[in-house]
Amino acid sequence: MKKASIDCRGKTTREINVQIRDFIADHATEIEILSPAARHNLGVATIEPVKMVFDGSVGYFCGGMIDGPEILVRGSAGWGLGETMMGGTIVVEGNAGNGAGAAIRNGTVVVRGHAAARAGISMKGGLLMIGGSVGYMSGFMMQKGTLIVCGDAAEGLADSMYLGTVYIGGKFESLGHDTEVSEPTDEDWKFLRENLSRFELPCDRPFRKIVAGRRLWNFDKKDFDIWKAVL
Amino acid sequence: MESSPVVRPVLRRSSVWREDIIEDIHGKAQLGRYQYRGFSTLRGRPMPSFDDLVFIPASLTRVPLEGYREDCSTRTILGTRFAKKPIELETPIMVTGMSFGALSLNAKVALAKAATAVGTSTSTGDGGMLPEERENSRILIYEVLPSRYGTNVHHLKSANGIELAIGQGAKPGTGGVLLGAKVSDKIAEMRDLPPGVDQRSPCRHPDWMGPDDMVAKIEELREATDWQVPIFVKMGATRVYDDVKLAAKSGADVVVVDGMEGGTGASPDILIDHTGIPTLAAVCEARAALEDIRLYGVVQLIIAGGIRTGADAAKALALGADAVYLGTAALIALNCNRPIYIEDYHKLGTEPHACHHCHTGRCPVGITTQDPELTARLPIDEAAERVTNFFHALTSEIQMLARACGKADVHDLEPEDLRALTLESSMITGVPLVGTRYPFGGGPGWQREETGAPQG
Repeated sequence: MKKASIDCRGKTTREINVQIRDFIADHATEIEILSPAARHNLGVATIEPVKMVFDGSVGYFCGGMIDGPEILVRGSAGWGLGETMMGGTIVVEGNAGNGAGAAIRNGTVVVRGHAAARAGISMKGGLLMIGGSVGYMSGFMMQKGTLIVCGDAAEGLADSMYLGTVYIGGKFESLGHDTEVSEPTDEDWKFLRENLSRFELPCDRPFRKIVAGRRLWNFDKKDFDIWKAVL
Repeated sequence: MESSPVVRPVLRRSSVWREDIIEDIHGKAQLGRYQYRGFSTLRGRPMPSFDDLVFIPASLTRVPLEGYREDCSTRTILGTRFAKKPIELETPIMVTGMSFGALSLNAKVALAKAATAVGTSTSTGDGGMLPEERENSRILIYEVLPSRYGTNVHHLKSANGIELAIGQGAKPGTGGVLLGAKVSDKIAEMRDLPPGVDQRSPCRHPDWMGPDDMVAKIEELREATDWQVPIFVKMGATRVYDDVKLAAKSGADVVVVDGMEGGTGASPDILIDHTGIPTLAAVCEARAALEDIRLYGVVQLIIAGGIRTGADAAKALALGADAVYLGTAALIALNCNRPIYIEDYHKLGTEPHACHHCHTGRCPVGITTQDPELTARLPIDEAAERVTNFFHALTSEIQMLARACGKADVHDLEPEDLRALTLESSMITGVPLVGTRYPFGGGPGWQREETGAPQG
């Protein structure tokens, strides 16, 4: 294991990311990034299996478009955490802003605290786990993958999903359009316990399972009551 | 007893309740929703267009270039603001973003081959990058759209430019549509969708909102590509003057403005015909915006939407564009609306030259379909040759007009080379109405002479 460290103080995002890439090119396997001070775009589009530890909060798009790295944020994250990532793991010890895990295609994103609006929007795969609660329209237009929310959800949870699964451990203010709620099966509980325990998130919540009602897949004038809100 | 009605042999048709309106109402009464279609606007009423302008070539006040002997450069460079590797094109004509999904694989690859043959670029459009498209494109723009279908960091890193798409001219303010007939197994796999679903894309990006966020988003794309390639921002033409300023201020290298004549593979037809502003107006507002913030010539401007001929392209350049995108015209060069397989046009209820049924997935000539049998009607190399020829022809037309105006570089065309045929176009462009020396209106880019002209 080869470790490296970057002190962000006095450095621009460009300088920090160049240094990260230089360390990776020099075969570093773990890079500690000190005092990130909520800068945007740190570690974006990294495609090597390196571990990056951000010792503090990060701004927008941290870990965006990555494929392979393991990222730990010892703080909170801004908007678009891990957006469109294709592989790897991101763990945020604090909270996350809007659009956490937006459009991810694979990999795992964990937010131990709360996530703001539109968590897991347009997910195309992968796993997003929120230890706390999520804001409105979380899981909006989800296509594939799994969103697990241990706490509560604001209005419009799982609106207009194509596919994918949302598990909610607490209350939701309202569901989005075209959703079906059910009790998790034994297989679902096994999946929940395995993944939540892997990151020491609470498994003992009364989770419910939400999937797409599939009435929005193809227009049918008989379903105009639901379509009038989404057309 | 009532007398017999008077026979009136002349049919009196209403200009309000036109045939197309009646047909539209009948259709909606059956469907229970708005109607979809493809292609471009079918508005019956004419709108201001490049046809309202003419060039005034050199005579005594200017000296024309000798066509056979004197060069007229068409070289076009985009992304000079921040990118380490700006895009260098041999012509200011580019292929706009059209998805694999909206188009067949053969159409995508043919466009890629043609673009490479003429030294210009093509674009992934929505839905991700086809390996075959990358292999056949020397210069490929990678679109990042609200849908993020098929977005792949490895593909993004291989692109020659990134286009952050905010909207498109045919349907600004709304997301893409791909009806179930075109969501084949392969398309579904690339877009992570269920096969056969009516795909309606989000209209907002999932991870940012508004110009302040876009500053960070553009920086992300630059970091992802190591500041090597230009970042384009593409928008539908609506509040162009303000939107272009915001895009430029947000850090774009290139701003693309797509006018309402722009095409689409599928859209509610009410959007195609009733949203956005014409391309002629869009280019004028865009230029004025860049001039106002002193970024004209620093941020390059691409104009799209209904560009059909070298004359359209040359007029767009003269009014301030650095390059133009072609979409529908390139598809027509491929074979769109050609009178072949006529029985299949009839099955769609249409005719060659009037087909706008791209949304059905039953394109008779194999362009806007995912059906293997229909796709096979578009042999790639033959189709690529037609588009290559068409692009060469357009490039020559632009050069011809530039030479006639005494310009050794097509980018030297300017508003002063134009005159307006209508008062309306004079007011939009600031170009004098023919027969006058006055620019009627506050059009952009025009150096107003102190002639006592009315204040615009």
